[in-house]
Amino acid sequence: MKPTLILVGADKGGVGKTTVSRALLDFFARKNVLTRAFDTENPRGSLKRFYPTATEIIDLENVAHQMKVLDTLESANVPVTLVDLKAGGLSYALDIFERIGVLEAARSGQFTLGLFHIIGSSIASLDEIGEIARYLTGLEYVIARNFINETNFFEWDETTTRKYFSANQKAHEIDIPKLNEMAYEQVDVAGVTFKDFIENRTSDGQAGRFSFVLRGYVRKWCSEIDVEFGRVKMIQDILSGGRAPGSGLP
Amino acid sequence: MAFPPLLVLVCSDRHRNGKTLLARVLVDFLMLEGRDPFVLDLDFAEGTLRDFFPGRTALVDFAQVAGRMKVFDTILASPGRDYVIDLPSQLLTLFCEAMTDLRFRQAAKTSGFSFVTMFVVDQDRDSLKAAASTEEKLAPDLFIPVNNRFVGSALPEGIGSTVLTMEKIDPDLHVIVTYRRFSFRTFLLGEESGVPLRLRSNLKNFLHTLMDGFREIGPALSLLKLRV
Repeated sequence: MKPTLILVGADKGGVGKTTVSRALLDFFARKNVLTRAFDTENPRGSLKRFYPTATEIIDLENVAHQMKVLDTLESANVPVTLVDLKAGGLSYALDIFERIGVLEAARSGQFTLGLFHIIGSSIASLDEIGEIARYLTGLEYVIARNFINETNFFEWDETTTRKYFSANQKAHEIDIPKLNEMAYEQVDVAGVTFKDFIENRTSDGQAGRFSFVLRGYVRKWCSEIDVEFGRVKMIQDILSGGRAPGSGLP
Repeated sequence: MAFPPLLVLVCSDRHRNGKTLLARVLVDFLMLEGRDPFVLDLDFAEGTLRDFFPGRTALVDFAQVAGRMKVFDTILASPGRDYVIDLPSQLLTLFCEAMTDLRFRQAAKTSGFSFVTMFVVDQDRDSLKAAASTEEKLAPDLFIPVNNRFVGSALPEGIGSTVLTMEKIDPDLHVIVTYRRFSFRTFLLGEESGVPLRLRSNLKNFLHTLMDGFREIGPALSLLKLRV
């Protein structure tokens, strides 16, 4: 099947971008879909801490690094490549991809390109949606409203919201559900994947000593997030191996 | 008594209907039987069980995740002994939810616990409905409705299965036994001087009726095993 390149980005920091990247990698791991990941948080990316073997750290401005991501999309034989874009670098990264022809290649069908745009609860987040609208033709655009660390509700005004979303008819909206703070922190402290945490395993494969209660809340959160991810067409396609559901073809 | 470690939840949809009193008699009963119960008192604001069972009671704020860890993680970390959970009525929904979300029921089973729920059925039919829905949500090995004659209960008489009865006690007696130094166990072991003569038979009747009911738990659980 066609490889899929997923970009995960946000125009401001602290909205849980890397958490969503982790959640996506975890989701694919649980569904037995091979993934590789690139972290652009140079020189030290936090994604690498949780997925040390699957993650490489790159500098998007470096041409050799760009090639590492793009030229191996086909040859790597891994259906999903995820790039965690560094905080604040979304428009900038999209601009680079536009210039070096990545967006064009995706539009012409060489691979599937998806963008997960993580947004926080402020109105500023809506402006970000406006800023990147011009890059979105031909790629799957997913707006992920991140509730993970939020205790408050989104303060968006309904009419303002409509104004932005009507400009992006094709946008999928998903919600990243809230995860209990203590559970979130424990996974962070342990530096393990959500999957390993649920299964009570440390990063080196040993039996963990994680709290039953916190594992339970992480498992519940994962099943909620599975439902959200499962609504995205690009992800449905990846899971069905490129076949249309029910087509019956091998 | 020869049955596997018990995890007993004492609960109701109403407050002030004898839950804590029941939990106390149960803990004393288990200790008299030579078992080693640990008490989880979830009435964080007013819990008194620590006074009665110092050294084997934890007072827990279940509304907090840290409190839920104290309950469920403690139980699973040290299986092999009995646990008695005294649950205030306002936490019943939250507790059932947490059990389901965390899949605690299965974990307790895997750790070898028999899970028993004692539900004090209050005077009206709504309480009876709440009992039924609690049984459905928690799916315990044994669900025991409790009839507190002091309060009155909507529980029909003679329904056939295991039912616990809390006989009426004299208001004066109630004052005596809720004094924090009073121990049912000590009383049953012969130290009766703390209770005026005229009230002793009332207390004995109350305790023996309940304990006769507790004695049915073991056989009832064994029967369930046979059925599986």
